[in-house]
Amino acid sequence: MAKIPVTVLTGFLGAGKTTLLNRILTEQHGQRIAVVENEFGEIGIDQALVINADEEVFEMNNGCICCTVRGDLIRILGNLMKRRDKFDRILVETTGMADPGPVAQTFFMDDEVRDLFTLDGVITLVDARHAHLHLDDSKECREQIAFADVLVLNKTDLVSGDELKALERRVTGMNAMAKVLHSAHAQVPLAEVLDVGGFDLERALETKPTFLEPEYPFEWGGTLSVEPGVLEFVLHEGPDPSMDILILDADDSVDETEHAERARRVWAEDAVIVAPGQVIDGSKPQRTTLDLETLTNGVARFELRFARAGRVRIYTQHLPNEFDASFVRGGKPLVPVVEREFQANHTHDEEVTSVGIHTDRAVNLELFHKFMSRILREQGKDIFRTKGILSVAGSDNRFVFQAVHMLFDATEDLPWGNTPRGSDVVFIGRHLDREALNRDFEACLA
Amino acid sequence: MMPSLSPRTELAIRFRHAAGDHVAALEVSSDGKLVYVGLGDGSLLSLELATGRERFRVVAHEGGVLGVSVSRDGTRIATCGQSAHARVFDENGQLTATLTPVPGKNAWVEHVRWNPAGTRLAISAGRAVRVFDRDGVSDFEFSAFESTVTGLAWRADGSGLAASCYGGVRVFPFVGNAKPRHLTWKGSLISLAWSPDAKIVACASQDCGIHFWRIASEQGSEISGYRFKPRSIAWDHESKLLATAGDASVLLWDFRGKGPEGSTPMELDAHKGLCTRLAFAPKRGLLLSGSQDTSVLLWEPRRSRQPLRFGFLSDEITALAWEPGERGVVAADASGTVMVLDLPEKL
Repeated sequence: MAKIPVTVLTGFLGAGKTTLLNRILTEQHGQRIAVVENEFGEIGIDQALVINADEEVFEMNNGCICCTVRGDLIRILGNLMKRRDKFDRILVETTGMADPGPVAQTFFMDDEVRDLFTLDGVITLVDARHAHLHLDDSKECREQIAFADVLVLNKTDLVSGDELKALERRVTGMNAMAKVLHSAHAQVPLAEVLDVGGFDLERALETKPTFLEPEYPFEWGGTLSVEPGVLEFVLHEGPDPSMDILILDADDSVDETEHAERARRVWAEDAVIVAPGQVIDGSKPQRTTLDLETLTNGVARFELRFARAGRVRIYTQHLPNEFDASFVRGGKPLVPVVEREFQANHTHDEEVTSVGIHTDRAVNLELFHKFMSRILREQGKDIFRTKGILSVAGSDNRFVFQAVHMLFDATEDLPWGNTPRGSDVVFIGRHLDREALNRDFEACLA
Repeated sequence: MMPSLSPRTELAIRFRHAAGDHVAALEVSSDGKLVYVGLGDGSLLSLELATGRERFRVVAHEGGVLGVSVSRDGTRIATCGQSAHARVFDENGQLTATLTPVPGKNAWVEHVRWNPAGTRLAISAGRAVRVFDRDGVSDFEFSAFESTVTGLAWRADGSGLAASCYGGVRVFPFVGNAKPRHLTWKGSLISLAWSPDAKIVACASQDCGIHFWRIASEQGSEISGYRFKPRSIAWDHESKLLATAGDASVLLWDFRGKGPEGSTPMELDAHKGLCTRLAFAPKRGLLLSGSQDTSVLLWEPRRSRQPLRFGFLSDEITALAWEPGERGVVAADASGTVMVLDLPEKL
């Protein structure tokens, strides 16, 4: 018997959960849907069965965090199976302050629920206007982002394009695995939020080409044509009281990525700190920390001095537009010839981050199992979710797995066929040690 | 199949009734004449036990029925289900009362239970228990449970009511001036069975175990290590054996003497799938067990670890009951089969 998919809607009060719920119920013709509602909302759809229930988080096994489950879901889902009008789908709308962990863990921990239902996806609605505030203040909000399979940035009509971009960067920095959708009034295509499929890492890779790219200590790089003399770098107040920059000669013999790798190596060395008004030698390959603690009339000016004409590539720790920054020569702005943004690994110094690992090589399954059980045992409390597709040495089939905290579930999947083999793993959690994870994973390669 | 049983040991079928939907609950009237069946489509069905003839079928709830309880005199049949009230019907299927657990709340009423005398009806919904008299007037209410109530049982003499939830069991006295008791345990209890001698309350737990308390001392004990959460627990008529199942086999714990602590349970191992229902006979040491594998087995645990008789339905067994005279048993399944099986004179 096919398992019944369960979609979980989370998000802070006011993020638009009920609006999305009503939309799903209105548009899903022909599907019989039952809604479990933990928050009193106005569901205006008569044909849907709406079950109101208090959130009941139960500790099991003496209170281990990974063994908390939702007692209300166990009871309700079990009872729903005793009805004639069996449902095609269940929607669970959590309260704004709900921890999605116990919801997800219920689908691992309870044998009855596990046999009959499958967690299709966690959809987290984000109020684009107030999200920064919630993200700063609320652990629940950060965890809702971390657990999401789909992040719906809602109420985009209330924010500017730049604000939206900054928010998207922030949430994807926390959860690199989720699909991100934008909407004004929770108007998202339902196909994008239903039938998400817990294992669809491939789709995540598809929609996020930069997702598994190497991450850099800088967010921006731009190529400028400079003349001998002074180029001014003018910054305004930004999200950080300092900004690191690095100036290297543009080298046409290497491509952008190779150049960025070179910059990363130089960046790792010690930096010098300079105050506004001071001169920076543009020919010196050294990272410089621009001190923005004290601004004059809200502006800080730095002089970049060049000995000769040529093309240089300047890397900056943050995006220049976060500081409303510009390069000025002779009173006129100098626009970069080429510029690009980089996936940063320090996004707002979030405690919640994602670590994605990709390799074309196959893994030794036994070593990988040992690695995963150790890492989840030691850090499972801080690792919210883990997902992966593995190419296993000696097997023609893909191997897929996912974990919620310490609970791990793995299965052999379809054959690779003609698709190129490779292994991808994503960790989402607090205080992740990127390098240690990479190193330990590499040790599992066959 | 079951190698230890021959076709000669199959129970004779008195009748088989296709009720059409998942049987969620059933109860036999105390005169043994009727069985009332609660179904997944919300109906309450009444069948004559002697013939299988249908007396009535009425819609009791919009959602599925979750519980059925018959008053001792057989005139008031209470039901609850996936709706925010309990209902009471007479023996002809006429609705006589609609009871609301807690005004203003719309949690499902998950349990209904007449007291042994049939004078008080206890119902539970969400974190509240309410008790009504025969006229539907509420004279007791408690709505401060730690979670949704998962089990409800009257003391055999009707002098108390016990309810389980997350964090323990509460026992409310209904006679005299005794104080309510709160038997605590940090964990999720999912069902409750009060021993017939009223000395012990046992509960299945979400932690794949059994927790029980000796009421006099309020001392709790725990049995852990089941493969799955136990779906059913049942006491024998002498309060000496507790039958439990969290897997295909039935485990019996012996409460004689010092009790089950530190002992090894008797294991009855013949089902091929998870055991879902257990029911001891009211006056003899006979045990009925039902399973996901669609089989029903009859045991006499004190005599043998092999089943005495067997029967098959067509889906997971969801309800079992004994006739008061113990001449027959009622079994029902998730596809709506209601079957009455006859026990031979000599087992």
